[in-house]
Amino acid sequence: MATATLSGGQIGRSLPRLEGRDKVTGRAEYTHLMQLPGMLHAKIFRSTVAHGRIKSVDTSAARKVPGVYAVYTSDDVLNVIAEPYYGPAFHDQPILAIGKVHFVGEPVAVVLASDPHVADQAAQQIVAEYEELPAVFDEVEAAENKTLVHAELKPAGTFADLKHLKGRKGTNIALDFGLRRGDVDKAFASAPHVFEHTFRTQKVLHLPLEPHASIADYRDDGVTIYSSAQGPSFVRTEIARLLGWPENRVRIKVPYLGGGYGGKLYIKLEALALAMSMLARRPVKIAHTMEEHFYTITKHPTTFRIKSGVDQDGRITARKCEVWWNGGAYADIGPRVTQKSGFTASGPYDIDNVSIDSYALYTNLTPAGALRGFGIPQLVWAYESHTDMIARALKRDPLEFRKQNLLRDGQPQATGTILKDTAIEKVLDRIAERLNWKRPFDRGKGAVRRGRGFAVALKAVISPTTSVAIVNVSADGSTTLYCGTVDMGQGSDTAMAQMVGEVLNMPAESVRVVPRDTDVTPYDMGTLGSRSLFHMGLAVRLAAEEARAKIGDLRRELGEPEGSNAPLADLFRKKYGMQAGNIVGTGIYKPDYIPPDANGLTTNVTPFWMVAGSGVEIEVDTETGHVRISRLINVADVGKPINPKIVETQLSGASLMQLGFSMFEKMHIDGGQVTNASLADYKIPGMHDVPPVMENEIVDTYQTNGPFGAKGVGELATFGLSPAIANAIDDAVGVRLTELPLTAEAVFRALRAKDNKPLGDE
Amino acid sequence: MSLAAITINFTLNGRLVSADVKSYHNVVEVLQTQFALFGARESCGQGLCGCCTVLVDGRPVSGCLHLAVFLDGAEVVTVEHLATAGLDPVQQAFIECGAFQCGYCTPGFVMMTKALIGQHPDPDDEQIRDYLSGNLCRCAAYPEIVNAVKMAARNSKAGPTG
Amino acid sequence: MMAFELLEPASLKDAIALIDPDDPEVRPIAGGTALMLMMKAGVFRPRRLVSLRKLGEAFTCIAAVSAGELTIGAMAPLSALEHSPVVARGAPVIVRTLRRLSNVRVRNVATIGGALAHADPHMDLPPVLIALGATISVAGPDGERTMGVEELLTGYYETSLAKNELITQLHIPAQGEARAAYFKVTSGSADDWPSLGVAVALRAEGTIVKSARIVVSAATAKATRLKAAEAALIGAGADDKTLKKMADAAVDEADIIADLRGSASYKRELLRVYAARAVRSAMQTSGASL
Repeated sequence: MATATLSGGQIGRSLPRLEGRDKVTGRAEYTHLMQLPGMLHAKIFRSTVAHGRIKSVDTSAARKVPGVYAVYTSDDVLNVIAEPYYGPAFHDQPILAIGKVHFVGEPVAVVLASDPHVADQAAQQIVAEYEELPAVFDEVEAAENKTLVHAELKPAGTFADLKHLKGRKGTNIALDFGLRRGDVDKAFASAPHVFEHTFRTQKVLHLPLEPHASIADYRDDGVTIYSSAQGPSFVRTEIARLLGWPENRVRIKVPYLGGGYGGKLYIKLEALALAMSMLARRPVKIAHTMEEHFYTITKHPTTFRIKSGVDQDGRITARKCEVWWNGGAYADIGPRVTQKSGFTASGPYDIDNVSIDSYALYTNLTPAGALRGFGIPQLVWAYESHTDMIARALKRDPLEFRKQNLLRDGQPQATGTILKDTAIEKVLDRIAERLNWKRPFDRGKGAVRRGRGFAVALKAVISPTTSVAIVNVSADGSTTLYCGTVDMGQGSDTAMAQMVGEVLNMPAESVRVVPRDTDVTPYDMGTLGSRSLFHMGLAVRLAAEEARAKIGDLRRELGEPEGSNAPLADLFRKKYGMQAGNIVGTGIYKPDYIPPDANGLTTNVTPFWMVAGSGVEIEVDTETGHVRISRLINVADVGKPINPKIVETQLSGASLMQLGFSMFEKMHIDGGQVTNASLADYKIPGMHDVPPVMENEIVDTYQTNGPFGAKGVGELATFGLSPAIANAIDDAVGVRLTELPLTAEAVFRALRAKDNKPLGDE
Repeated sequence: MSLAAITINFTLNGRLVSADVKSYHNVVEVLQTQFALFGARESCGQGLCGCCTVLVDGRPVSGCLHLAVFLDGAEVVTVEHLATAGLDPVQQAFIECGAFQCGYCTPGFVMMTKALIGQHPDPDDEQIRDYLSGNLCRCAAYPEIVNAVKMAARNSKAGPTG
Repeated sequence: MMAFELLEPASLKDAIALIDPDDPEVRPIAGGTALMLMMKAGVFRPRRLVSLRKLGEAFTCIAAVSAGELTIGAMAPLSALEHSPVVARGAPVIVRTLRRLSNVRVRNVATIGGALAHADPHMDLPPVLIALGATISVAGPDGERTMGVEELLTGYYETSLAKNELITQLHIPAQGEARAAYFKVTSGSADDWPSLGVAVALRAEGTIVKSARIVVSAATAKATRLKAAEAALIGAGADDKTLKKMADAAVDEADIIADLRGSASYKRELLRVYAARAVRSAMQTSGASL
C-alpha cells in the first residue's frame, strides 16, 4: 500500500506530549489525588494466611475508634450485591472474602472514615481467626492437583476470545491451551540432536508510582466511578453486571494514569469501591499504598520446559513447549495470557513439528495478570536462551543458527497463520550489525570478563477486539476526539490527535482529546497488549475520514467550488446562518479472527505481528558475579512511527523496566507471605542502573493494514532483553543461568559450580 | 503542644500562611488537604521515590517523611510556584526532551532538578545521576531526564520561557 | 497514625528530663526520617516525641579543633557533613561515602546523631566512623560521658545508650597521614541497602602497613571491627599474599548473616573480595586525602 494518503503533515512528527504542561506543573489529574465532597476513605483489612476458612472476624474494637463511620465485611456486601464475584475470565474473585481466604493479603474487611488516619488505625484493631488449610504455591505442583485452591470454577463469558473457557471442578487448571502441528514425537525420534531445558521466571509486579485508586459515588439512579483503570468500558460492563443495571446507569471516569503496565487492567478496586459506596450511601475512595500493590496483582511466574530436535544440517525439526503459568488465587486475565502467548511459545522459527501445552494454574498467591508483554517476555526468556544453548552445543554461530531457522514473511507460523509485515530478519541483522557481531570482541582481562548476546521475538496481538471513536468538528472548525484509550504515559492522546490532524489537515496540537468517560467516550476493549495504536488508531482514522467526507458533502451542498479551502467556520456559518452545528464522524474497528481449532491451529490468529529484539554487551566481575550492562541495544519493527520521539521513549522505558525484571526484581515469598512488600526491599531500576550506552532503533517498515502504516509499540522492548543478557553471560564466562533474576549471587554460584567448588546454601 | 491541633506559620510559595495540623500529619497531607496543592504526592511513602519532593528553606526534602509541624517558621516551595509567570526553564526542558511518560513522578524530578541547578549550574552526567538517584521513574524516562537537566541548566541562565 | 504529644524543648537538660526512660512510647526525634518510617509502618506508636531540633546551634556546629580533630554537633544533617570544607579536609572518606548514602532529600534531613542512635547495621557511616576511631559525647540525667562509636553499637538496632541519653557530639580524631576507603556493595539495584559494607583506615610507611582498622557492616548484625584481619595486615605490605591472609581472617571472624540481599555464604565471598579491594583502595589513596 502506498503512503500517498499522507497530507496533513502530522504523521512522523516528534510532537511533545499534548498534556506535557499539566504534567510538569503538577496539574495533571490522577484518581489517587482526587477528592469528592462528602467522601469517605476506606482502609482494607487483609488476610494473614494463604489459605483458610474464616472462623470469625471481630470488628467490634474497630467500630469503637472515634471517627469511624462503618466497618464492613462480606456479610454486608452480600446484602447489597447478591453475587459479589468479579473477573474478566472467571467470576471467581469476591469483593471481600466470603467464607475462605485464598492468599495472604486478600481483602477481608473494610473500615470507612472521613479521616484516612482513623480508618487506618481502626483497621489495625480488627481481629480475624482462620482455620488454616493446605496451600499450594508452585505452579508445577498446582498442576498435579493435590491441594485445590477453588472447589469450582465459574467462567465469565464476557470476552469474545475467551468463550471457550469451561466450568470445572477438581482441578487448579483454569485453562489449558494445546497446539499440535506435525508430529513432534516422530521428529524427535529421527533427530540426530535433541535438547531439553527448563527455565523459570520469578514473581514480579508493575508498581506504577500512582498506586491503584478508585472512588465510587453510588446513587439510586446511577453510579459514577472514578478509577485508575486501563479499560473503562470493561469496568462499566462488569459494574453493570454486578448491579443488574443497564450500562447507561454506570459511568466510569478515568483521568491520566500514573503508570499502568497492565496492572490497572480489567477490574481491580472498582467493585469494592462500589459496594462500600452502596453500603455507606456516600462517595467512597480506596487509594492503595505502595505496599498494597503486592497484594493486588503481579506478573505470572512461570516454568517452561522446552525441547527441540535438530537435524544434521542444523535445521530445527521439532519443538515441544510446556508452560505452567502461576496465576495466583484468582484467574484475572491469566487464561488469556496462557492462550495468547501460547500461540507463539515456539518462537520466531520455522519448525514443521510443534507441540505446545500452556497451563493457567491457580495457587495461593497474589493473583497474576498481564504485565507489559502478556506473557511473551517469560516465553522469550526460555526460547531464546534455549536457542542460544543449542547453537553453542552444536558449535554454531548463534546468529547464523537463528537465521537458518528464522520465520519469514509468507511462511506459516506455528498456528498456521501466514506471516505478513514482519521484519524479523531485519531486526536480527540490525542488532548483529550494531553489536559488530562478525568482528572480534574485547573479552576483558583479569577478574572482569566481557561478553555479548542478543535475542529476537515474535508476538501475536490479542484478537479479536473492538475499538470505537468519534470525531466531532465544531462550528468554529475546532475538532474534538472521543476515544476510550487510556493515556497512562504511552502518549496515546498525542498519537491519536496526530492521526485526526493528518486526516483533517490540521495541527495535532489543535485537536482536543476528551478524557475518558464512558458517558461520553465510546466503547474500547481496553488499553492493553500494544493494541491501541493499531485498533483505536484505525477507528480514529475511520471517524476522521467520515468527518472529512461529511465536510466534503457540506462544501458541495453549499456550492463551494471543487478544491475550495474556505475555512470550516465559514461553512458552518453559511449553512446555519450563525456559528452553529456539528459534523460528527464515527469509526469502528474490529479485525477478522478465526478461533483456533481443536489442535490450536488457525489461519488468522492476529491482525498484526509484533517483532523486536535486544542486544547487550556486558562485563562480569568473576570474583563477585556482578554483571554490568555496558551497552544496551533495542531494535523494533513498529511499522511507520506516528511519533518517533515517543516511540523511542517507549522502547527505552520498556527495556529499562525489563532490565529490573531481568537483573534483580523479585517478590520474596515465605509460606505465601510476601517478605519484601515495599520499595525499600523490592528495588526497581533507578538512575544508576541505566546502562551507559543505550541505543534504540526503529527499522524501516510499513504495516499495510495499520493506521498510516503503524502498529503497536508499548511492550516491544521487554521481549528480548532477559535472554540477551543470559546469552551474554554465557558468552563472557561460560555459565548458563536458567532462572530469573540474574543476580550477582546467581552468577557467582554458577561460576563456582562450574569450577567444581559449589557455594554452600546457608 | 498537646494532642489537639497545633498551629504552624510558614511561608508557602512566597505567601505567609498558617495551618492547624495534627502532630502526625506529614507535609504532603497538609499541602493537599489544607492548601489544595497536589503537585507533591505520596507514592512509595518511604522517601525513596521522590514524588513528594518539596523545597524547605531551599533544600529538597521528602514531604511524606517530614512532619508538618517542622514547617513552622520555614520557607516552603512546591512545584506550583515554578510556573507563576510562564513555565520555568526546568519545566520547559522536561517537555521538550520528552523527559516523562505517565508524569506522576515528574513534579518531584522537576523540583530536584531545580535544586540541583541551584547547587551546580553546569552539572555533568555523574552529578546529575548522583543527585537524582533518589528519584524513581517506573516508566524509566531516565535518559531523557538527564538530557532535560542539561537543557534546563543551559536555559536557566536565560530566565523563564513559555 | 494517631495523635501524639510533640515537645520541642530549647535546652538539652529539658529534653533529657522530658524522656521517660521507662516508657517505650516516648522517644527523642531528630531529623525523623527513620522514625517516621517506623511510625508509618505501625511498628512504633509514640505517645510523646521530644524533638531535638530547637536545641540551638551548638548542636549543629561542625568545627575543626586542635590538631585536625573534628567536632560535629549531633543535630548536624548529613548534608552539612557532605558539604563541609572542614570535613572534606579532615576526613574526606566521609564526603565520598555520603555521596552514595540514601538520597539527597534524606541527607538534608537525617542527622548524624540520629543515624548513629538508630543503629541500623546497613548504614554506611558507622563502619567508616569506627575505622576512623571516632567517638561520641553522650548526655544523660547524670551528666556526660564519651564512648567510641564501636562501643555505641551493641547489636541489631541496639545501642549502649540509656533511653534518656542523647548523643550530643561526634568527634573524629586527627587522621594525619592515615588513608581510608569505604566500599558499599549492593547485590541488585545500584541504589539499595548494601549487602556488605567494608571500611578501612590505615597508616603505612612506604609499603608497610603500620596500623589498620578494618570494619564490616550490613552483612553483620552491627558494624564490627575485624581485629584478626587487622593483625594479619599490620607489619606487612599490601601484597597479594598478605591480602589473601587478611581477607581469609576477615571471613573467619565475621559473623555473617543471610537476608534478602544475599546468603551468608555469598556475603562471605563478597567480604573476602572487598576486604582486599578496600585495603588496596586505601593504600592507593594519598595520605593527605584519606
